[in-house]
Amino acid sequence: MLKSWKLKEVVLMSLFAVVFGIVYLVFVHVSNIWAAVIGPLAYEWMFGIWFIVSIICMNIIRKPGAAVLSESMAAAIEVLLGNAVGPRLLLSGIVQGLGAEAAFALTGYKHFNLAVLMLAGAGSAVFSFVYGYFISGYAALDPSFVALMFTLRVISGMAIAGIGGKFISDGLLATGSLRGYAISRSTKGDARA
Amino acid sequence: MRNLLHDMNPSLKFVLVALSMFAIAFFFNPLTPFIFWIGILLLQVFMSKVNWKAWSLFMLPFALGAFGYLWTTIVFAADTNGDVVWSFLEFQVTAEQLETALSLAFRVMAFSTLSLMFAFTTDPVKFIMSLMQQLKLSPKLAYGVLVGYQFLPVMKDQFQQIQQAHRLRGAELEKNALRRLLGMRRILIPMLAGAVRNAERSAFAMEARGFTGEARSDYFEVIKLRKVDAAMTAVFLLLLIASCSAEYWF
Amino acid sequence: MHETIFSFRNVRFRFPDDEQLTLTDLSFDIHRGERVVISGPSGCGKSTLVYLLNRLYPFNCDGIISGSLQLFGKDAEEYAPGEINHRIATVFQDPDSQFCMPTVEEELAFTLENLHVPREMMKQKITEVLALTGLSALRHEVIQSLSGGMKQRVAAACALVMEPEVLLLDEPISHLDPVTAKEFILWLDRLQHELDLTIFAVEHRLDLWDSFFSREIQLDRSGSIIGDKLATAHFPVLLPERASTMVPETVLKVNGMAVKSHGKELLSGLSFTANRGEIMVVAGPNGSGKSSLLKALCGIYALDAGSIQAPGIGFVPQSPEYLFLEKTVGRELAFSGIASSAQLNDLMERLRLKEIENAHPFSVSHGQKRRVATGAMLADRRTVLLMDEPTSGQDAAALHELHRLISERADEGVTFLIVTHDMEFAESLADSVLLIKDGKMTGKYPAQDVWNHAELLAEHHLLPPKGAGRLAESFA
Repeated sequence: MLKSWKLKEVVLMSLFAVVFGIVYLVFVHVSNIWAAVIGPLAYEWMFGIWFIVSIICMNIIRKPGAAVLSESMAAAIEVLLGNAVGPRLLLSGIVQGLGAEAAFALTGYKHFNLAVLMLAGAGSAVFSFVYGYFISGYAALDPSFVALMFTLRVISGMAIAGIGGKFISDGLLATGSLRGYAISRSTKGDARA
Repeated sequence: MRNLLHDMNPSLKFVLVALSMFAIAFFFNPLTPFIFWIGILLLQVFMSKVNWKAWSLFMLPFALGAFGYLWTTIVFAADTNGDVVWSFLEFQVTAEQLETALSLAFRVMAFSTLSLMFAFTTDPVKFIMSLMQQLKLSPKLAYGVLVGYQFLPVMKDQFQQIQQAHRLRGAELEKNALRRLLGMRRILIPMLAGAVRNAERSAFAMEARGFTGEARSDYFEVIKLRKVDAAMTAVFLLLLIASCSAEYWF
Repeated sequence: MHETIFSFRNVRFRFPDDEQLTLTDLSFDIHRGERVVISGPSGCGKSTLVYLLNRLYPFNCDGIISGSLQLFGKDAEEYAPGEINHRIATVFQDPDSQFCMPTVEEELAFTLENLHVPREMMKQKITEVLALTGLSALRHEVIQSLSGGMKQRVAAACALVMEPEVLLLDEPISHLDPVTAKEFILWLDRLQHELDLTIFAVEHRLDLWDSFFSREIQLDRSGSIIGDKLATAHFPVLLPERASTMVPETVLKVNGMAVKSHGKELLSGLSFTANRGEIMVVAGPNGSGKSSLLKALCGIYALDAGSIQAPGIGFVPQSPEYLFLEKTVGRELAFSGIASSAQLNDLMERLRLKEIENAHPFSVSHGQKRRVATGAMLADRRTVLLMDEPTSGQDAAALHELHRLISERADEGVTFLIVTHDMEFAESLADSVLLIKDGKMTGKYPAQDVWNHAELLAEHHLLPPKGAGRLAESFA
């Protein structure tokens, strides 16, 4: 799978992960304090921000694997940055990336419109929720509460990661700096639908 | 003795951490995660050189998170039958609820301590090198990640400069979390545009020095599996088995 | 004549997204031991040429190439990826983005691992190349903590550890200040004599290289060869002299300024004034506090002591895009809502921004970005403008554009404080020079008093402007 990847594409995913790593630092700072007060719900509404890097990278590079690789690299970078959640992030990163990847695979890596990006955001949310259900023991919680968490996470995945990812990759495309990447070449309806 | 956790093979340490987490996740009694948590703490006290002041600082948010988890699990418990052990306002807490809640809170503490142990005793670059050597991670990905690591200080500085420049133009970072999220675009776009440029430059510099992403035949710094790793694996597994079977003894 | 190592015959190259060619019908030979420089303006395809030689292109950009390009007597495309790179090594321009490992030793080891050098030989090879390049003391240093000049030497050491036959240089000094660049060139010169390398460089500013090169191939904007000759020493870009339009009216008054950060004193005891329309150059060694001065003046850093009096101070960073917030140039200028639409119109007219009014501010050229940033500052009525290293990495055309931008604004009454190491550029514009060292002000001098004061300049890590060059050209 990696054979067809240019090194500059791999490094691009890594540097994007660093940019978002810095952004996450700004955010997680805030959310931990909330978590104490309102419990796990604190994270749910903004969970999507963790998935955004895979959606942006896939939308730019458009090669099978872009979502899962970028999300895993983002998690690895977090570990290198000394993130205290380190090794746990690596596992959840892979799981989240697989969720987004599944959505792109379902559409045959042919379409990258807003609907597909939102589907990918939802995919990440579902995968990460199933993983969290197991690791964090959501089974012990009231099913309706779990349903609320799940709904919030999926909405966040679709809104923040899906719409947000589209918004940012379009913004980046407009700057003209993505010359030479797949997103620049697809001038047909799909890219801007 | 105090170097044991630092000297462990990073990949092996990672696998053991992951394995422990998956195993502990099957248990909903308070004892298992509690014993595991204490065990990991003891390992860290006796087998590592950790700056405990920094450690506490990192641990604090997790402890708060564990507390948040504790009361959520009590209030939103799945199972509300059984003997009431405690009640206030209209909430009635059963023994079972309390047990599960404590179990999950200890689980948060145990996993956080485990993660911190890894973070505090593992050299990041050695970890990536070890993933390549022991777990056969593709060099393309491994060195890709290392480049990102090198860029961290450069990009942090860039982030600051952009923030300062925006402040100069009268565009402050919003206090409101949602607005802040939307306002991030203005900082993200120049950062990402810079990242695209730097990614190409770095990749070219590596390829110009003969890097093709293929497996290497020899490493300058060889990271091995040694006797200490076998011993530490035994210690970890022992702790894990003791924790998982805790319910049967008491 | 020595053996031919590179041979170009009607080589054409274009990017898949482009209509026109980047390189047009290139035909030339490079012989062993030559020191060739490819010169030409930015965007003429010089870097593309380097990437064709080290085989980064066409694969990395899916470029379309025709004609015949032979490397060491064999067609370029017959080389497997990575095969040629130990024979043809490269040093790139950006010191910050050439490394993937933390320390110098590990970076050299990365290179040796790529070449499948047996482990037993790595230590020795690293020791040898460090001794050869005089970098032994840096062996265990963290690369990112080194200065730009040292990073470039480490990059060169990484190239030389492969024992190459050819060294490609892609504008290796464009991010270095002139004194550091000169030292780097002398160092390279010694290495070339010792190792008998073939050198193939691309460069748009040749004046600092003196007589380093033996042959110069000139490209024009369309990527065609317009000259292939013996190299001669170049003079710096000749910029028009400017008559001062300074008005005797003090607009900026700095009194006893001091700045501290994390308990460290960055600046202390700075006092000076500037007049309307004055162009002041701020110069001094790296880390002397020039950037801190700019940041303190425009309010990014808080003052620890002293005062600043000025009507409105604006800042144009080295990367002007850091200031941008909007999606079009027009909206960028209008962002604060301070200027009326008539004023904005007039401003865009004067800054020649009309034609790019609807373009994305990130997608325009570097010179245009700087004009947009300047416009945004002036639209907010900031009539004292600070510029940080605006000449770094600029070619002749860009320097002329910059010169015109500053000169015209000063004529309109804008006051400038420009941080630069480029004394030729400074000489062509400055009314006054503020010299800084170790966070303290050496003094503010009338510009003409400084240029011949070689000692004073050397103390501040500056090279005197090549006034002789200016004279020689004006007599020619």
